[in-house]
Amino acid sequence: MAGSHSDPLAHPEVRMGGAMRYIAGFISTVALMGAALIVTLRHDMGYETYVEVVGGLAALALLSQAVLFYGLDISRAQIWKSVSLILTVPLFIITVGLTVWMFQSLDQRTMVMPNSAAAATQPTLLQ
Amino acid sequence: MQVHVPGPWSPLFGRLTLDQIPYNIPILQYTFAGAMLAAIVVVGAVLYFKKVGYFWREWLTTVDHKKIGVMYIVIGLVMLFRGFADGLLIRTQQVLANGPNAPGYMGAQHGFLPPFHFDQVYSAHGTIMILFAATPILTGFQNIVVPLQLGARDMAFPYMNALSLWLTAGAAGLVMLSLFVGDFSAAGWVGLIPLTELPYSPSTGVDYWMWAIQISSVGTTLNAINMIVTIVEMRAPGMTWFRMPIFSWTTLSTNIIGLTAFPVLGVALALLGADRYLGTHFFTAGMGGNLMLYTNLFWLWGHPEVYFLILPVFGILSEVVPTFCEKPLFGYVTMVAASFAIAGVSWVVWLHHFFTMGAGPDINGFFSVATMLVGIPTGVKVFNWAFTMYRARITYTVPMLWAMFGLFLLLAGGLTGMMLAIPAVNYTVHDSVFVIAHFHCMVLLVVAAAFAGVSYWFPKVFGFRLDESWGKAFFWTFSIATLIVFTAMFALGFEGETRRLDWTFNTAWKPMLVVEEIGMILYVISLACFALMLVFSIVNRKKNAAGPDAWGTSRTLEWLTPSPVPFYNFAVTPQVNTRDELAWRRKHGLDKAQPEHFEAIHMPSNTGMPFVIGMLAAVWGFAMIWRIWWLAAISLTALIVCVIIRSFYKNEGYHLQPEEIAAMERDLALGSVVSEQPDRSHHHYSHVEAH
Repeated sequence: MAGSHSDPLAHPEVRMGGAMRYIAGFISTVALMGAALIVTLRHDMGYETYVEVVGGLAALALLSQAVLFYGLDISRAQIWKSVSLILTVPLFIITVGLTVWMFQSLDQRTMVMPNSAAAATQPTLLQ
Repeated sequence: MQVHVPGPWSPLFGRLTLDQIPYNIPILQYTFAGAMLAAIVVVGAVLYFKKVGYFWREWLTTVDHKKIGVMYIVIGLVMLFRGFADGLLIRTQQVLANGPNAPGYMGAQHGFLPPFHFDQVYSAHGTIMILFAATPILTGFQNIVVPLQLGARDMAFPYMNALSLWLTAGAAGLVMLSLFVGDFSAAGWVGLIPLTELPYSPSTGVDYWMWAIQISSVGTTLNAINMIVTIVEMRAPGMTWFRMPIFSWTTLSTNIIGLTAFPVLGVALALLGADRYLGTHFFTAGMGGNLMLYTNLFWLWGHPEVYFLILPVFGILSEVVPTFCEKPLFGYVTMVAASFAIAGVSWVVWLHHFFTMGAGPDINGFFSVATMLVGIPTGVKVFNWAFTMYRARITYTVPMLWAMFGLFLLLAGGLTGMMLAIPAVNYTVHDSVFVIAHFHCMVLLVVAAAFAGVSYWFPKVFGFRLDESWGKAFFWTFSIATLIVFTAMFALGFEGETRRLDWTFNTAWKPMLVVEEIGMILYVISLACFALMLVFSIVNRKKNAAGPDAWGTSRTLEWLTPSPVPFYNFAVTPQVNTRDELAWRRKHGLDKAQPEHFEAIHMPSNTGMPFVIGMLAAVWGFAMIWRIWWLAAISLTALIVCVIIRSFYKNEGYHLQPEEIAAMERDLALGSVVSEQPDRSHHHYSHVEAH
């Protein structure tokens, strides 16, 4: 990241920016997230399909931001940004993983129907 | 798609009508009169002394990290005062409204605050104290101190630094505005779900809370980026990682938390906003929503936020304690490791805020153990400070007293935190004021460290020490008040008092409620001592004038610069030789060494754009709160246009000439934070390079 202190354009990571790419990134991200919102509001998909579609749209939005906004790659100028993103992956796994675990358990413990097999196998505080 | 809101709505004013001005509530009338009086005094003084241009050129448009830090702290202290006033109202209401026969005043059945107003007061108290008092004050210290400790000229991104400040200021303005236009959230500072959903909170209160936090958290996130880059990139030659002062280390760890945690809050509030504005069902009980998802997301940010507040506090203590013990900090490397261990563990403990959700024994067990793990690195820190003090020549100055009181609060808060980490105990005292007393020990540790920091670094910024006598009076009244209020509160928690009660039904609580109120009165007295400390310090500023090393025993690089520190920080970029650079130079007789000559210093130019963008963000927030769509569209468009225009500025800055530096080094008043600087835009960069 060596470069002049006074001229931003002397920095290679700043030179990666470009009006067309920012506009394309903005439009694609807004469109993808807008599509996810519309899909959510319409309620016309099954649960499994809905989760797959929204998850796919989110992944595409992330990809579009990574490529068009941040220009992530493994070049000398950009690798620190790519590495920064990768460093957040463990955090992502921990937080999402623990959330899934707690809500799966919560669901089993609080949303079961009376007399169901799941209810009979769940431990209670008294056990 | 847009949700229908109850009550009138017009295209021009949205939901805003004259009825939304609460002019019939007596407390707000007095508050409004007080606020107007203060505004008239401040604005009148600025106009009378013809200082409008000075404030615009030197403060509102500044990109100097020290001035930005000072403004952060001033905003934080003003909000601290507001939050304290809310706390006083809460305590007074609870002691007055005790038992079935408690009389009512000013329209309330019991006490003087009707339930809906009381709910707003405690919601505002929590929101303000955490996000608009503690956070700006600590951010202010980081702004002032970190570049100086690193031997840097400024932050890595001075413009973005100012932008962060003005976003925070705009958001704080929205919180204050909710006093006089509309109302504030009545759903607690955490946004108790589903209370924050539109059917249960149809007024604009939740919207004020939501948008104010959103805007300020953008500022906090940007500031986190700025701090991390500054620490990674801007260290002076020779300052290797393990020569860096502990406060800078804790700032790095805390801002890694800030950068990763605040976006989660942004998402939680954005989804809540989608529920309130677009009719989605992320957090509703039906339609596929899940209430607890909000609670999960909120605390996914909320617990790291606790350490976001505590880690810089540990940094302040780690600077103050060695200075007044005249010893290097015991266990420097373990202190660094402990800071990062706390930051890491902060991400796996959040469920302990809602153990009672019913996630099951395995999960509660996991989060219980993870929470207790925090005690290990924290314990390492406490022992390190204790060993630093062991057999030391301790000077009991005001900053040191605050630091020692902070250690006491850390122990009280930490040990009760260990109790709360046990799910069985947590189930018993959940939502009781025992929990409130516990976390107030922790946030008052933040306050104690903040006052330690204010009194410790004040001479560096302004060139004179704060009055010791009034400072000690402030310290003792404040700390005794803390002990009185929160010892009684712990007891009330065990007696079964639940939190957020506008009417304390059990008459057996009365004695402890009275004790709490006595403590609150002592707090009011301590505030008077604080004000007198400021007044006498300014009056006696010549007598209390400080040299570069204001305490004579300081150890880190910020004390190498003159006091008051000139706006360019270091006349010559320092070469760092060791950890505790100043102590090393003092030992080798190099602390008073002067450079043979000065070279031109490249400085960034001031710009009004961050101020304009911050104010536009506040207008946008106001328009969204009141659903004035045209104003929201215009202000958001203007904001984006300003950002784009600014991105084309080259901001080449100017060069400070060697003769000017020499003059300012001779006469420190010329370059101080409060001095007015001449226009140097003609000292253009290329012009200097040509020479």
